[in-house]
Amino acid sequence: MGVNQLSRLYGDKPAVDRVSFDVERSEVFGFLGPNGAGKTTTIKMLTTLLQPSSGGANVLGFDLKTEGRKIRERIGVVQQQDSFDQGLNVETSLDIYGLIWNVPRTERKTRIEEVIARFGMEEFRKMPTVDLSAGQRRRVQVAREFIHDMDLLFLDEPTVGLDPIVRRALLDYLKERVHNGLTIFFTTHILEEAEYLCDRIAVINQGRIVQIDTPENLKRRFGSARAVEFKLLQGSSEALASALSSSADVTRLVQDSGTGAYRVTTTRPESVIPEIYRLAEQHAVTVSSIYIAETTLEDAFIHMVTDDENGRETEREA
Amino acid sequence: MNIYLRLVYRNLRANLDRASLFFELIFPLFFIFVQGFGLNGIVPPFEIGNGRVISYSLFLAAGAVTLTVINGGTNAGTQLWFDRKNGMFEQILMGPFTRAQYILSIIFATLIIGVAGSLLVFLFAFPVLGASFNPSLPGVLTIAAALFLGTVFFGAFAIALSVALKSSETFQIVSTFAFFIFLFTSSVFFPATSAPSAIQVASLANPLTYTTDIFRAGLFDAMTPTVSLELGILALEAVVMFAIAVIAFHRIRV
Repeated sequence: MGVNQLSRLYGDKPAVDRVSFDVERSEVFGFLGPNGAGKTTTIKMLTTLLQPSSGGANVLGFDLKTEGRKIRERIGVVQQQDSFDQGLNVETSLDIYGLIWNVPRTERKTRIEEVIARFGMEEFRKMPTVDLSAGQRRRVQVAREFIHDMDLLFLDEPTVGLDPIVRRALLDYLKERVHNGLTIFFTTHILEEAEYLCDRIAVINQGRIVQIDTPENLKRRFGSARAVEFKLLQGSSEALASALSSSADVTRLVQDSGTGAYRVTTTRPESVIPEIYRLAEQHAVTVSSIYIAETTLEDAFIHMVTDDENGRETEREA
Repeated sequence: MNIYLRLVYRNLRANLDRASLFFELIFPLFFIFVQGFGLNGIVPPFEIGNGRVISYSLFLAAGAVTLTVINGGTNAGTQLWFDRKNGMFEQILMGPFTRAQYILSIIFATLIIGVAGSLLVFLFAFPVLGASFNPSLPGVLTIAAALFLGTVFFGAFAIALSVALKSSETFQIVSTFAFFIFLFTSSVFFPATSAPSAIQVASLANPLTYTTDIFRAGLFDAMTPTVSLELGILALEAVVMFAIAVIAFHRIRV
């Protein structure tokens, strides 16, 4: 897939602003961004649901503007929003979805059994889709897409509402399908998922692509030595946290509710660590452990988006 | 399997509420067997054209059959509404289908419901209508044309309404109200010519009047030269309403 200067305006406001990127065959391409960044609008354009305001794309060798039908014959889409057939049970719903895609009856039967087993839907296969929980319905929605053949699959936050076991099963299944030649365009807010699955990631903010690279490179370039984790013997100290948060070198401070560990995002860990010890002494608490944490994709993501927003702010002021 | 057959089959399986369909069939039967026989004793037989004189129960039975056309039409709006509400509208349009194929599949499904419903009501009403039914090829063709055009009009009307209204509750209320207006300004319950002048004028614009009049003419062999004119007006109204539905449909925001 080759995307060239693709834009979509709502009124005079760009929801997607001249984005360009390429996706290789059998690649998992992640598309990350904050809420309202333009991820879903991009997917809607690339799946021909929405006309671009300008720019273009070549999807599976077909032109986005003139060969929409040919593109749609070779793609699968799991939308961010719920989608289900109100009057059908799970099994019939899968069967009829396969039917409208013209999958032969015997093939449908085989694939339905496969996805029911892979997505753990046996216990509710006869239940009406309308009566399912949000997570179960999401499973059906994702599984349904594997009933028909495709070369490229668009997944718009597919794991929302799934429990960790099903989520991992889905990610592993996707990996398996990619190994067999499927290409995936994937958006998510769960950055561990993106890191687990994606070969490359594009970060989009306010309609514009900020960076495109592999997860490892993004972490190296935007997150190296920028997180410090520490624990207090006393568990927590609001006074210390408050004082540390107001330090100029600290971008963000969060406390893990489970382990009690504090995580400091900083551009200067070498000055933050002595500061933590100084504040601990001042507030009569003891640092029981401290280390420069391995940078996560989330650290890199926050850094990229914050940098981009600061850059825009500076542009506006200028 | 043909693309339309696949989509129509899906529409019929996924979006039809069986309980509603059941009551849509029961509703006309009440008119035929309760109201028709109830009023038969006080309304003398009258002429409907071509010298054909029929009783009020027969008159109403024929009207009640065409009532299923309007009920069938409502289903078109409901199908579209369910698909939009449940996210299947976008899902299907991201599949190997065009918008035109999707909307036509709804119209075809509506035709099946409307025509099959009418036939079913006709079968149930056969003890009333059967003796007077005088089948002839022109009569049967006229009946088919009336049911087809009537269903297309009301299906398209319901689609346009479903696109224009923002919630399913409003759609249900407005469509019920609109269909009551169509019903009581038509010739389903009484001959429009004997109604007050305001209703007569309204009935001239009402496609249900033409659907019912043409249906009766075909059923009771009461063909007059005005039937062709009524067929022409109904066809025109169906085409215009279909065009409005297509335009409205293309404006749905995704």
